[in-house]
Amino acid sequence: MIHVKDHDIVTPGELLSDEGNGSHGTYLEGTKVFSKYFGVIRIEPKGVGVQPLTSVYEPMEGDEVVGQITEVGGKYWVVDINAPYYTRLDVRDMNIRIDTNELDKYLDIGDLVYVRVFKIYPNHSADVSMRGTRYAKLPGRTTAKIDIMKLPRLIGKEGTMINIIKTETNCDMLVGQNGIVWINGEDYNKALALAAVNLVEKEYYNPNLMDKIKELLKNVRGKV
Amino acid sequence: MYEERFDKRKFDELRSIEAESGIIANAKGSARFRIGNTEAIAAVYGPQDVKPKHFEKVDRGIIMCKYDMMPFSVPDRAKPGFDRRDMEISEVITNALNRAVILEELPRSMIDVRVYVSQADAGTRCASLCAASIACADAGLPMRDLVAAVAAGKIGDSICLDLTKEEEDFHEGGATDVPIGFLPSKNEIVLLQLDGKVSREDLKKIIEIGKVGASKIYEIEKMALKRRFLNESES
Repeated sequence: MIHVKDHDIVTPGELLSDEGNGSHGTYLEGTKVFSKYFGVIRIEPKGVGVQPLTSVYEPMEGDEVVGQITEVGGKYWVVDINAPYYTRLDVRDMNIRIDTNELDKYLDIGDLVYVRVFKIYPNHSADVSMRGTRYAKLPGRTTAKIDIMKLPRLIGKEGTMINIIKTETNCDMLVGQNGIVWINGEDYNKALALAAVNLVEKEYYNPNLMDKIKELLKNVRGKV
Repeated sequence: MYEERFDKRKFDELRSIEAESGIIANAKGSARFRIGNTEAIAAVYGPQDVKPKHFEKVDRGIIMCKYDMMPFSVPDRAKPGFDRRDMEISEVITNALNRAVILEELPRSMIDVRVYVSQADAGTRCASLCAASIACADAGLPMRDLVAAVAAGKIGDSICLDLTKEEEDFHEGGATDVPIGFLPSKNEIVLLQLDGKVSREDLKKIIEIGKVGASKIYEIEKMALKRRFLNESES
């Protein structure tokens, strides 16, 4: 017997079902299924699952992420990609041949990069690569952080939400799969885009979020 | 003889409780828990990389808890900083949370838990543990259950739930204080300390009354997490 309905909000330790049909985000004790996260119920044919409301980015091979250089080593850079583990960018994984004596000429501490995660080691540390035409150093240093569970909300259906923010603020934006959003443009526009991203972060559960975002962008623009 | 409580409560009645989550914007998860005149604020940061590095465990994560009393929280000024009492309480909160949080799923990482007591009137370690567990759930950590904690005890001849400072200092007949941390849906005790003298039979009664009180607190903790999202969908 399943004790919950679809889209219910549950807390850790809540009894969900007696049939042992737990999916992701649950744990089993005998045949009893308990919730593991503070999240939303998803009832699927294979069982009952819990989608957490907040989560931490865990790197996966093939993710395209925005990162910040935090350390320059002998033949590598250390990149902060918002994961709890150590991440490296090796000189061999760049498009150009680089003189190892002057690594900081190409990427210095604090620079932002758009990279792909291409290798995860058994100790969870990751290697990222800049090989390919999609990846590059990003100009400017403005980023916004958003929880990865809220990313679909920021992007919207077929990118509607992010496109509205982009066109209304005249900013270049890049959403990494790790929840870091790179923003570039004029100072005033950047602040506006940042405010919009923060509003999504704060009110992601609001069904009328799109209207609120439109209102925010219109009102601020009208006043100046 | 202690026949009527100082604040006219019943012997198995809790003080008024208030709990809310998501109060600190820069923390991953946060909570405030008030029971009577005791109030604790908790913030959770992480999972993040372990510092200092030699604390790292390859198969599981670790919890680093820091409990502190604010200088204005007690009638005599509490000296700011980490003293021996803070150390002990940080340790018992860490041990209780170790049972509640599924650390095996967070290898090589650290969870930072900060608890501050802004007002103290006995039972601060229980209030801190409640606040910390709400904050952990709010931070999206995998957990087996929320921890509900409450102090029970024996004052004079009567067994009481949720002691105040006034009752802890009761002289005639002596006062015993037993803080209990409890996982209600698992029926598992994660924190049990004893301060004073008590017989074996009485201790069993005290634990029973504590479990009943903790189950009431558990419901309030659940509401504290859910309330933010329920209100929005109704309006």
